[in-house]
Amino acid sequence: MASALRIAQSLDPSTSPTSVSRAELSEIDASTKAPALFFLISSVLWLLAGTAFALISSFKMHTPEFLGDYEWLTFGRVRTAHLNTVIYGWSVNAAFAVAFWLMARLSRSVLRHPTLLFVAGAFWNIGVSIGIFGILRGDSTSIEWLEMPSYVTPLLFVAYALIGAWAIITFRFGKSKHIYVSQWYILAALFWFPWLYSIAQIMMIFEPARGTVQALVNWWFAHNILGLWFTPIGLAAVYYFLPKVLGKPIHSYYLSVLGFWSLAFFYNWAGVHHLIGGPVPAWVLSAGIAASFMMVVPVIVTSINHHMTMVGSFSALKYSPTLRFIVFGAVSYTLTSLQGSSMAIRSWSEVTHFTHYTIGHAHWGMYAFFTMVMFGSIYYIMPRLMLKEWPSAALISTHFWATSIGIIIYVAALSIGGVLQGLALNDVENYPVFMDIVELTKKYLLSRSYAGILITVGHLAFAVNFAWMLIAPRAKSSTAPTLFRNPSSMVITR
Amino acid sequence: MSDDNYKKSDPKIEQAAASDEQIQEVHSVLLREKSEPSEGYSPIPLLLLGFVSTMIFVVSIYFIHNRGGFTSGIGEAAMIYDERFDPKLHRPDTGVVKVVDPMVVGKRTYAQVCAACHQINGAGVPNGFPPLVDSHWVTGSEERVVRILLHGLSGPVEVNGNVYNGIMPAFGAGSAYNWDDAKIVYVLTYIRNEWGNEATAITPEQVTAIREADGARSTAMSADELLALP
Repeated sequence: MASALRIAQSLDPSTSPTSVSRAELSEIDASTKAPALFFLISSVLWLLAGTAFALISSFKMHTPEFLGDYEWLTFGRVRTAHLNTVIYGWSVNAAFAVAFWLMARLSRSVLRHPTLLFVAGAFWNIGVSIGIFGILRGDSTSIEWLEMPSYVTPLLFVAYALIGAWAIITFRFGKSKHIYVSQWYILAALFWFPWLYSIAQIMMIFEPARGTVQALVNWWFAHNILGLWFTPIGLAAVYYFLPKVLGKPIHSYYLSVLGFWSLAFFYNWAGVHHLIGGPVPAWVLSAGIAASFMMVVPVIVTSINHHMTMVGSFSALKYSPTLRFIVFGAVSYTLTSLQGSSMAIRSWSEVTHFTHYTIGHAHWGMYAFFTMVMFGSIYYIMPRLMLKEWPSAALISTHFWATSIGIIIYVAALSIGGVLQGLALNDVENYPVFMDIVELTKKYLLSRSYAGILITVGHLAFAVNFAWMLIAPRAKSSTAPTLFRNPSSMVITR
Repeated sequence: MSDDNYKKSDPKIEQAAASDEQIQEVHSVLLREKSEPSEGYSPIPLLLLGFVSTMIFVVSIYFIHNRGGFTSGIGEAAMIYDERFDPKLHRPDTGVVKVVDPMVVGKRTYAQVCAACHQINGAGVPNGFPPLVDSHWVTGSEERVVRILLHGLSGPVEVNGNVYNGIMPAFGAGSAYNWDDAKIVYVLTYIRNEWGNEATAITPEQVTAIREADGARSTAMSADELLALP
């Protein structure tokens, strides 16, 4: 602990220069409590549901007869339910909570009429529930990333519009003169998401475009929802929590600017690299591939910025759960993005496309980057909302090691298996029979299931800790943060 | 935080929260955290700017070399699917007749369509789909093999001592596949001369003659019907 003198100073409003701004933060946090808690609780429940769907579909890949007799649990439905649950259930709910909590704090603005946000959140979750139910029932639209039946998508859009508008109103009423880099990303993402979602819905479902334009729109949407919605929210969280936990400024404002605008400029083009080899005009593909290569720029710039902020503070990783998850996510962002750029190379795409390699890449991005960053953020946000500490450091530790080791095994297994599968698929001479190739991938699919079980253990540890925190009574006196271990001097905060 | 200390709608919060020690204590979570993040102003390293410029340069070169006819506008390029297309080499009106190797085109069509049942190595699937390798149906009478592809084949058929009872769809003009005579020529020539098979190439004239002779037949052939043919 810090010296008694410093505690006394920090508790005395007349001597502490920051106590006024801290009081302001407490007011802001309190205003976000109800909706943020609602979104976080929903997201954790969806995470558990999504994990269950994930395990079922993973088992089916190597043991097809598993639950094969239930129409509702056939692979085509469960796998689709998994994707929609973890994307629109877990990830979007967590992204909402983190986005407007950060937005309120950074704008120094209390959330106005939090009840309305709560209602919008309820509608979003009702919409997702009906959508998942519809998918399991067999109403999937069969368009990747947009499988939810058309009877729920307008509801989702309206709920989203209300939530997005709320964060923007919070920004408009803000008192902060300086706009911090996290706010750029969140604001941009809040405008990008409705643009992507509405265009995709109209051009794919309600007034379908004809021919290959559909495929172009599909991949434009599916790739941009990662790059222009989840990536900016994830980066906003990294840009906030990295300097916040370390207590030092982000390395360079100029790098932040370059990173943001290069992402905004190039990402939008990159999605069509999924159609390499397809019946799409060659110049569209070449432009998409060029943009995918250019994505190396924002990735390198952002990772240099984060790394230079971290330099000299790596020992803090021993203590802070938030920092550890965030750094794991930030490193994964760099690696998976570079991998993504490489996958746009025509000759390499011919090998990896339509194989498990792509699935490994998708999970590296959505899980090892985005989900881990969200975990880190939740570990920081929850004590501020509840004014309580996390009940168990051991559970946090279990969560971290199970999910991080799990996802590393997952990505490694599918990447190796995927490349072997891709090489075999292109080698008609040696692999004339398709089933031989399936057999070839089986041990990698089994490894993926084992990794999935490990990740599930981590999620259960997280969910137990989360529920425990919700019901545990608040401590009467000042408390210390729950860290992996206690530092000799209390210089690290969570 | 007790409710009487501040009103939720009151944006003036300075006095409220800073004056009550009890609040301070409850808010130890907040008090211990570091200040809100700020930004440093380290300049961008020159090496990084050099890297960004290099990327822009390299990627532009890549696009120029793979632009697929995108020169004067989208109009022409919209229909070009080969990124190596070069308008200088593209002379639509030179009058050169394209020579097609039936083995190459046939192999491609076979791999895309036929291999789903007969397998890429032509061995078929035991008890499911008959083999094409070493089969008298394939290498034998041209009259028969052309009709199998044109009209399809259903019912029991004996191949190399095994009886298969399945349905092969029709591929000829007017069927669901609606292949033109040329495509049928390519595929048949391919399967008659691949995997060790050796037989004469099928000519377009043969296919056209048989198709016109049969008229608009909509039912599949049967093995007996075929065996009655020369």
